[in-house]
Parts: sequence; structure tokens; C-alpha cells
Amino acid sequence: MIEATSTVFVVDDDDAVCRALTRLIRSAGYCVESFGSAREFLECRPYIQGCACLVLDVGLPDINGLELQNELNALNRTLPIIFITGHGDISMTVRAMKAGATDFLAKPVRDSELLPAIANALRVSSQALSSRIELDCIHHRMARLTPREREVLALLVEGRLNKQVACELGVAEKTIKVHRARVMEKMEVHSLVELARVADKVCTPLSPG
Amino acid sequence: MTSFSAVIASVLVALLILFQIRRTRMPGSAVGSPADTELLRQRYNNYAFAVSDEAAGMERTNEAFREQTDFRRSAGFRPPRLSGRHILPTPPAMFSRGRFRRASFENEPHPCHVKSSVELPDSGRQSRHDERFGATLDLLPLAILAANPQGQILFANAAAEKLFGYSREELSGVAINELVPALQLNACVADSAHADLPLAGREWDGHRDLVAKRRDGTEFPAEVTINPVSWENEACTLTIVIDRTERYELLRNRQQLAHLTRVSTLGELAGSLAHELNQPLTAILSNAQAAQRFLATEPVDLAEVREILHDLVEDNHRASEVIRKIRALVKKGELEAVPLSIASVIRDVALLVHSDAIVRGIRVRVAVTPELPPVHGDKVQLQQVVLNLLLNAFDALESCSALNREVAIEVTPEGGDLIRVAVRDGGTGLAGNTFDKLFLPFFTSKRDGLGLGLSISRSIVEMHGGRIWAQNNEDRGAVFYFTLPTGARAERSFPRGQP
Repeated sequence: MIEATSTVFVVDDDDAVCRALTRLIRSAGYCVESFGSAREFLECRPYIQGCACLVLDVGLPDINGLELQNELNALNRTLPIIFITGHGDISMTVRAMKAGATDFLAKPVRDSELLPAIANALRVSSQALSSRIELDCIHHRMARLTPREREVLALLVEGRLNKQVACELGVAEKTIKVHRARVMEKMEVHSLVELARVADKVCTPLSPG
Repeated sequence: MTSFSAVIASVLVALLILFQIRRTRMPGSAVGSPADTELLRQRYNNYAFAVSDEAAGMERTNEAFREQTDFRRSAGFRPPRLSGRHILPTPPAMFSRGRFRRASFENEPHPCHVKSSVELPDSGRQSRHDERFGATLDLLPLAILAANPQGQILFANAAAEKLFGYSREELSGVAINELVPALQLNACVADSAHADLPLAGREWDGHRDLVAKRRDGTEFPAEVTINPVSWENEACTLTIVIDRTERYELLRNRQQLAHLTRVSTLGELAGSLAHELNQPLTAILSNAQAAQRFLATEPVDLAEVREILHDLVEDNHRASEVIRKIRALVKKGELEAVPLSIASVIRDVALLVHSDAIVRGIRVRVAVTPELPPVHGDKVQLQQVVLNLLLNAFDALESCSALNREVAIEVTPEGGDLIRVAVRDGGTGLAGNTFDKLFLPFFTSKRDGLGLGLSISRSIVEMHGGRIWAQNNEDRGAVFYFTLPTGARAERSFPRGQP
């Protein structure tokens, strides 16, 4: 259940709008936290645990919405953003979407647009969260490997046979077999195919969203 | 225009004063300089007027008055102080029982040497006096009406005939209210009853802007000055009517120009204003839909719904306020002089440009000294000045880094009865050679500017009795100041009600 554990952040400098949006999102059963400025949000929420999304006004004083998006991206924070604006134009929309926004809505925004957009953003967040957890897990397992084991792993996932690996590393095939068993054990996999898939995830950087 | 009328009124007053001058037994009195005498002689065709000895008797009864009279005597026949507004620094001009007669210029070098009134038989003298006085008044280019306490016209000069379209005979005996309906002679007569009070104690200065009516029924704005005079010991009035159509037209044109620039400024702001309206609409929609959702769930959270309804009312009020402010600025209204808090004027303008500032990435800081006395003026026009200065400041910040994009509005008291508003930007500042041209019409440094904003701002500020100027900041950018009078001074400086 995404809704139960997820948080929706609202950032809008207009107090009345902020309160109304917070209320509307809360009426759909989400947990909502609201902020009056981008800076306030950055200061209060440097780390976000769990599944979350951000409903963000573009026209903010101090730091505007698009700048906040850039800062969050620079911090490598995968927080799906739904932009809402009173005077959006095409270039602004394109810029926001290219930088990874999940939606770009015009004010006044109807619940039939906003709530599905939030559901979608939270789904994205949840997926990103689970892949991040998985990745963290793999990194954790990889950290347990010795340098030699890592070399063996790299050659194995390239599809080399034990014999070839032994030849490459200049050691006996029997030794490689021992290494291979240890790698399989430490990486908590049961087949070579599984090992290759896990290793693949580590090597390919995960794109946000 | 006003100074012209002041001069004319002064001349008239000089004539009135002449009625009281000089008794023959005062040797060496009533002597003007030869140049003055010559001037008067040419101008008034050798007419001068003298008071009879009876008037001198009256004077003797007033001890306080005597000092002034003596002073006037020693100063020659010109009174020490003449002004169009304060007709007489002394008791009202006296026709001295209506007797005035030819002065003996032939007696030079004492041109105003006056012969005793007993020298001529009384009956013929009276009519000749009236005739000559009338002839003198006819020389003046101002419409002059003399009326009795009942408001009936006793005399009208040629300019009055021309202005109102009636002949002199037709005007005689007509109620003065036929010509100037709103005129209240009573106020003036009552005033003249207290004429012996020192001038400072009298508030009424005899000057009104009223509507006058011609014979053909057309109305025109007129500046009316009422002078209490004494005629055969009866309090009468001498009413001077000046046609103010041209001045009114000028003011009207200026107002129309101000209105046009206001509307065009608002046109430029249209996007931001739409956003300003969009915000409460967004809040209303979200609040209403939230309420629907809360009502659909059991049990209904009534406290929440109540809070939402409260917010809905607030949001609605806010939206209508935005519309009201826009309409007020677009409205083509007459000037309205009311006591105003300058802080509220600035607050309203700041609200209108709020979105524009955000879009341009500009911070607006407002610092108003608390408990400032109110200014006296037209809210819309003062808003126009602030709006214009604020948008100019925004434009000046166009090429600035985000860090310097700040406009500060400061309101501080200045001296005893002035407040000063400063609009400060951190832009590029003003070029040295532009300072003297800034407030001239059609001078602009903007690519698509009309060059009317500052010139209109200046005329508005000056109309309110204030001053506007600009200077560069020491570090960067420029600051525009304007002052406005407060308290009693403010009320005096604003133009009187327009017809």
C-alpha cells in the first residue's frame, strides 16, 4: 500500500493556496507536509526516507521551482516532482519535464488531475525506492568480496569459462573454482545467470524515474 | 492663471482702499510716488475716490483700526499688503455711504488731496459717484456683481454682462443665485459682521470654486470671490466671478492623460494581475473539492469542513479585492481628496505587482515608519505614482544579478508636516545628464517607453502639494523620492472640489 507510508510535500509561497492544496491531498488519504519556500523545504527535509513526491509551485520567491528541481537533482535525490503554475509556458514546461518532472499542471488545478498525478509520482518514487534498496543491497554484498574475487566475478559475468578465467589470471582452474563458489555465496545467488543479472544492475547506472 | 487673478484682485482692492483714504486735514498724507500716481492716473482715467468726513468719524470709534489706518496714511494710498485672497487686512472696504468723487489731480504734487464732501451738493454727487465707480469697474476684465444682503444684484459690470449674457438692466434686482446657484452670501455677510476680528481669527478666505450659469442655461466652472463691503451702513457684498473653464479643461486633460497611462500600465501588468486573481481561485477550487471529499467519507469531519468554509470566504474576499483594486485604477473618476494612510496606498500597489516581482525574480521590501499622520489626496492618483516608480525600479533591475534584485520602499517623516516616500533600486542608476530631463514629458530611457510616467507622477505629486526628485545611490542604482504634506497643510494644498 503506497498511500499509507508515503508523504506528499507541498511547496507554495501563497499561504491560502498552500493550505487548500494540503487539505485536498490530505482528503485523499496521503500524509502531507507543506512549506512556504524552497529554502525552507531544503533546510527541513535534507533527507527523505520512504516513498514521497513533491507538489511544487514554479513561481517562488528566493529559489524558484525549476531551480529547486536542479538543486535536488544535483543532490542526487530521486524525488518525483509535480509542478503547478499559474503562468506556465512551453519552454518552462519542456525544461521541467526534461529535468525529470512527472507532471506539469496549470493552476487552478482540479482534484481529478492532481490526485492521479500524485498517485503516479508516488508509484515512480516507490519503484525508485525499491531499486535503490536492491542496489544498496548488492553494493553491500560486493563490498564483502576480496579484490581477487572481484576480478573473478568480472570475468565470469563476461561469460568466460573457469578455464579461461584461470588462464587470464594465471592461476590454477581449481583455485578459480574455489573463488567462484565464494563469489556465489557472498553475492547470495544460486546460478551464474543470476550473478550476471545482479552484476549488471551495479554496472548500469539507474536513471531516475 | 491664479497669479493673474491675484493681480486683478489686488488692483480692485487698491480701488476699494482708496475709498477710505485721506482726509483733507491730514497734511502731507496720501501721497504716492510720482510714478505711482502717473500710473494710476493713466489707468483709471484720472479717477480717484475719497471718503467723506463721516467715514473718518466712524474710524475714530475703532481704536485698534486707527493704528492700521495711520500706517496706511503714512505709506501712501496703497495699502501695505494686498492679496487676492485676503481682500482686506482691516475692516471691510467702505463705500463710505456710497460717496466717492473725483480726486483733485490738478492739485499735484498732492494728487490725492481730497476736498471736503460738503463742497458739493449731495444729490448730484451721489449719482455721479455711482456712475464713476461703475465706469471704473467696467474697466476691469473680471465679472463683478454687487449685491445687497438679500442677494439681489445692485450692480453688474461690463465683464459680468459679457460673461453671463445678460444686459446690465436685466441683471439689476435679479437674485445672485440665479447666476451662481450654490453661492451663499449669508456666510459672507455673517463674516463681515465679525470683520473687526483680526484676520487670523477668520477662516473664510472668500474664495470658492462653484458652478455658474449663463443666460442660455449653460453652466461653467467659476472661481468666486466674495468681498464684504459696507454700503450706507448696510452689509453688502461685492462678488467677483472668474470663468475657470480653461483651467478645468486643462485639469481634465491632465486627468485623462493620467488615466490613459494608468490603463496602459495595467495592460502591461495584465499577466501578473491574472495570476494574482488565479491564486485565490486555485485555493477556492482545491478547498471546495477537498470539502466534497471530506463530506463523502464517514464520519464527516465537521471541524475540517467548517475551516474549509471559512477559508473559502477568505479566498473569495481576496479575489474580489484584487478585482476591486484593478477597477479602481482603471476607473475614470473625478479627483477625490480624502485623508489617506500612505502605507495602505503602498500596500495596495505592492499587491498588484506581487506576481510581476516574482516572475522577474525581484524582492520588494516595504518599510513604513509606524503611526505616520495621514496625507490628504486622491488614492488612485497616489497609487499611480507609487506604481509608476515601482515598475520603473523593476525595469532598472532588468540586467542585474539575482542577488541585487531588490527594490526598497521607505516611508519616513520629513520635517514637521511632510512625509517622504523613497523608492530605491539597485540597478544601473541614472546617467548624469538625465536628471534635469527626467520629469519632462516624452523623455524616456526605455526602448518602448512613452516618457509620460514620471511627468504625470510629478504633476500628481505637485497637485498634492509635494515634490518629486531623483538621485543616484552611493553604491549602485537610483532612488526616487517624493514628499506629501500631512495634516492641515495637506488639506490646504489639494485643489478645491471641481465642478
